Amino acid sequence: MATRMERVQCSYGSLDETFEIRKEMFHGQQYSQIYFARLHLMRTLLYSLVPHWKPNFPVCTVLELEEDKECVIVGTLYKHMKLKPCILDEYSKQKSVVPLVKPHNFMHSDDYLVLEDESGRVKLSGNIIPPSEYVTGIVVALLGKESGAGDFLVQDVLDAGLPPQIEFPLKSGEDKYVVLVSGLRVGSSTFNPLQFQLLVDHITGHLGDEKDKSIASKIVRVVFAGNLVEIPQRLLNGQTLASTDLTIMSDPIRELDILLSQIAAGLPLDIMPGHSDPANFSLPQQSLHGCLFPGSSAYNTFRSCTNPHCFELDNVRFLGTSGQNVDDLEKYSDAKDKLEFMERTLRWRHLAPTAPNTLGCFPYTERDPFFIESCPHVYFVGNQDKFETRIIKGLEGQLVRLICVPKFSETGVAVMLNLRDLECHALSFGTNSAHNNAE
Amino acid sequence: MASNSGNMKGFYREKKPTTAKKSSKKSPSNAATLGSTAAQTPALVSDGGKPDLKDEYDEKETLLRQFDLNMAYGPCIGITRLARWERAQRLGLNPQPEIQSLLKSGNVQTESLWGGRI
Repeated sequence: MATRMERVQCSYGSLDETFEIRKEMFHGQQYSQIYFARLHLMRTLLYSLVPHWKPNFPVCTVLELEEDKECVIVGTLYKHMKLKPCILDEYSKQKSVVPLVKPHNFMHSDDYLVLEDESGRVKLSGNIIPPSEYVTGIVVALLGKESGAGDFLVQDVLDAGLPPQIEFPLKSGEDKYVVLVSGLRVGSSTFNPLQFQLLVDHITGHLGDEKDKSIASKIVRVVFAGNLVEIPQRLLNGQTLASTDLTIMSDPIRELDILLSQIAAGLPLDIMPGHSDPANFSLPQQSLHGCLFPGSSAYNTFRSCTNPHCFELDNVRFLGTSGQNVDDLEKYSDAKDKLEFMERTLRWRHLAPTAPNTLGCFPYTERDPFFIESCPHVYFVGNQDKFETRIIKGLEGQLVRLICVPKFSETGVAVMLNLRDLECHALSFGTNSAHNNAE
Repeated sequence: MASNSGNMKGFYREKKPTTAKKSSKKSPSNAATLGSTAAQTPALVSDGGKPDLKDEYDEKETLLRQFDLNMAYGPCIGITRLARWERAQRLGLNPQPEIQSLLKSGNVQTESLWGGRI
């Protein structure tokens, strides 16, 4: 009775090249280099925008500021934060003056912004540019004048804005779905093998009636956005491990390999490393090696990718991270929801402005890989607390679908996105009798 | 406790290591820094106590030092002079071509004026 269904096909192009560390070498360079590269890149961009923004004001550097002269300056923001933990505090004799109120957020009402360029730095004042919304590392253009106190009184702010976007492909009328999953955390106490097996069975078409299966046949790709495994912390102390501990350490990866090979046998999948995965710590995280996954890497449908990850599916451009960039913004700034942080990174045209200040980052000397050159159609961030999504529109007609992908191990929720119209919904799996399998 | 240590001081004769002794113990000329494969150049103040300020340098070095200190081409620490010149060229900052020919010619310092001191 069962009819044979063909899985829908879709063209795929990886754009991870900018995030791959190939020719770059570490030979003692400092992080000042990446700030220079960023400032140079962004300033060139902002200088081209300033004549349209404020045609009647002169553009000058920080050093050329004069009292009461209205002008436009471009530079990198630095946020001075009273509560920001500093490695030197450990060695200072005085006890910290202000105790941490919320250890997950380091903001304080005394925080202020400073604008820097090669020539100097100036403290910013005025309520046009609230420090709570900005973080260290963003390049902006400011209109204002130097006040008597030596501060720069800001009258207007210009950020780089949404980057130009490639045209959205013409609607084909055909539904094609992409499934986004993050935070599996195989090996942690919250990982529920049955719950994940339900997801695997659902997307490979082994679950449900004909209708479910016909939807499953339209899934063209699964993307795992970081934190695939969790390795017990007590084993990661740098000591030589007993052979039993070695097995315990590699067990989560072996289990994950078995689960992923079930998916890889049916449809293409991308994995991205995350904070808890056995990849390098600093961004951009390099792809996990195929030999970690002997079973699934044998399939040509299996792709191990970088974090951040950028790719195109039928000319729909995706950009995503495993969540570190937004999690770090949350510690040092404030927004009404996670999507707002995501929107800001797009408007600042920078995926991870807090790198290298508070987020680990490779010391690049010539380029800034986190600069967003082209606006994605879908921008996702993994390992968030809950599923959130919104569409934002740019001034030049850009349309971006923002998605916060929740942690699967805690919520049982994966996200399903339709490539045809960028509509997306949650796929929720529960193993308690009170829930149903797939909604 | 404090008086105790005072007694100890009285008991053992205090002895300050002389600088000459120290220099014989370790030789920083081949001390490795993190990630650097090349031997470290001598520190600003070498062990003999004689400041290592090379006051005499030729015109070439003057030009190169001016290039090092030109902030338009970015920070000069942790990057060789030639790499910095090439970066400036690639970023379209039009660095002086004489600098490149000087650096390519060989007999000049390849590191910036702070090279190995930071």
